[in-house]
Amino acid sequence: MNALLKKEMQLSALLLTYLFIGFGFMTLLPGYPILCGVFFVCLGIYQSFQSAREANDIVYSALLPVAKRDVVRGKYQFVMFIELCSFALMAVLTILRMTLLSNAAVYRQNFMMNANPFYLGTVLVLFGLFNVIFVGGFWKTAYRIGKPFVIYVVVGFLMIGAAETLHHIPGLEALNAFGFEHLALQLLTMFCGVLVYALMTFLSYRKACADFEKIDL
Amino acid sequence: MHIVSVSGLCKSYPAFQLKDVSFSLEGGRVTGFIGRNGAGKTTTIKSMLNLIHTDSGEISYFGMPLLGNEAEIKQRIGYSTGAVSWYPRKTIREIIRVTKDFYTGWDEEACQSYMELFGLNESKKPIELSEGMKVKFNLLLALSHRAEVLILDEPTSGLDPFSRDELLELFGELKRRGVTILFSTHITSDLERCADNIIYIRQGRIQAASAKQEFMQNHGRPGESLEEIFLRLEREARA
Repeated sequence: MNALLKKEMQLSALLLTYLFIGFGFMTLLPGYPILCGVFFVCLGIYQSFQSAREANDIVYSALLPVAKRDVVRGKYQFVMFIELCSFALMAVLTILRMTLLSNAAVYRQNFMMNANPFYLGTVLVLFGLFNVIFVGGFWKTAYRIGKPFVIYVVVGFLMIGAAETLHHIPGLEALNAFGFEHLALQLLTMFCGVLVYALMTFLSYRKACADFEKIDL
Repeated sequence: MHIVSVSGLCKSYPAFQLKDVSFSLEGGRVTGFIGRNGAGKTTTIKSMLNLIHTDSGEISYFGMPLLGNEAEIKQRIGYSTGAVSWYPRKTIREIIRVTKDFYTGWDEEACQSYMELFGLNESKKPIELSEGMKVKFNLLLALSHRAEVLILDEPTSGLDPFSRDELLELFGELKRRGVTILFSTHITSDLERCADNIIYIRQGRIQAASAKQEFMQNHGRPGESLEEIFLRLEREARA
């Protein structure tokens, strides 16, 4: 582990952020909008940003022997670490629902979105949006967190609503596949989610570095 | 030899301007940086650490421009400000454990000896420290990686007279080891004792930058202390 990530994990982060990774277990909830788990994981990350701000973390980091852009890199590494840990948990539980639990009545009679590769792709898009709107928005000032988080909550829930609605539209039923049905389409949607996440995070990081260079601490 | 060089530094805020600030620091000397509150000392120091974005000007350390060599330069300099609390709810041990990984020259033995000298307890958290002890903790972090240049913003504020005396002795010892120190303070009596050079800033503009004796000869009257000179110059400027 590099020194920047270690600093983020041991000094800047709250224990709550790690505990909130557990909201990935919402993947198992039947009859519930399971994408809401992403919101809670992001809420955990938000709490760490808030705590770090009160601890003068950004100025402390900027005084360390690193370039200013490395301060930004450390935060992105931490955010991605939390996101990918929760994604891994969601992926394992999704596989469980696709295999051992694929015929469970509570999931078969589920009006809401199923846990499948399309769900995992959407999880990544939601994390990507968080990285663009909240994490990227934070670096415009390096202290304001309320406004970017509120914007993310609005956009995020609109996205969750849209994702939950899609499979009810005639012709798009395959998005809500059970087990290994429509696997090629399902994997394609997940792959698109991976690409969108990577692209959004990369572009957000580049803009954040440029924004942070301009501001005074 | 000039270890630090600041040239033509300008920074505009709506209500304040740093105007063409230029000076240099010689190796192994203690330079006192004096000026009233709001004169531009902290803005200058923050510029020297790349914490603020200047409108123009150049800063170099060891012959290298700060921009583009920030990480390398920060390995060789130390910074301490007054009683700012970093990570108030983490223990001193946790903060040190993480911080030392960033420095190639971290000296654990020196860290422990400063811990003893300053009477710091590793198990305490910054929130539990008095203002003076916070200053000492900040100094410990700045001193433990064998910095060649120390930039200290009000390092003696909040310290009791005995601790101040110990600190000034420590500065003397560091100077003998060749460490360059820039020391911003309002307590000019500290500078009487330990400074070799004086930089005097007023309303964002450097008024004088010279050896202490030269400063006192050029600006002082017979028998005046540094503090009396500073107060008179400020009063004259206001009149």
